Amino acid sequence: MIEEKVEIINKLGLHARAAAKLSHLANTFDSDIFIVFNEDKVNAKSLLGILTLAASIGNYISIIADGKDETRAVKEIKKLFDKKFDEES
Amino acid sequence: MIKSLIITHGDLGKELIKVCEKIFEKNIDIECICFNWEEDGTSAINKLENFIEKNKGNKIMIFTDMFGGSPSNICFEFVDKNIEVITGINLPGLLKFLTYREKNMDFKKLAKIVKKGAIEGVNIIGEYLGEKK
Repeated sequence: MIEEKVEIINKLGLHARAAAKLSHLANTFDSDIFIVFNEDKVNAKSLLGILTLAASIGNYISIIADGKDETRAVKEIKKLFDKKFDEES
Repeated sequence: MIKSLIITHGDLGKELIKVCEKIFEKNIDIECICFNWEEDGTSAINKLENFIEKNKGNKIMIFTDMFGGSPSNICFEFVDKNIEVITGINLPGLLKFLTYREKNMDFKKLAKIVKKGAIEGVNIIGEYLGEKK
């Protein structure tokens, strides 16, 4: 199992379009993947689950992946956060 | 393959589709029938029958805006093992459907998951924050 902390740096935070991209990406991996924010832990493959976190810019979330492609999953998901979900230049 | 259709009062369905397409950044392949306020429903029923006829052999999931409203009432007679209707659809329910429809799951089970997603999308923020505090 791998866990990595990431800061949300896009202006709109984990809003609908960002959550759609995140869940879409998470669904391409076999591993179980979770996003943890404060005390809430949701399935990263669930768009609506991600939205319930209401996580915004400046918040830190943790990506947890468990499975055979966990390393790649965490790396790719972190990359998505780092590039602000391709929403901003 | 699941084919889907939204039937609503006014342009509500069209707008729901537009918002989903914005979120997913792609065409979501859902058709829409907008109930015209001035008509008696004949045109909408014809469109519904045409949709069902053209998609014969597929599973068909129909979404309507409100149980008891005309868009829902015209669908009742068509429900069978291949056609299901979910009333009171909202954005969370539709997003749930779009996320799960590719998963090859049992059609009636998918309908239950969508219903649950739509209901869970209705919250009272004061209560939600109360639970968090």
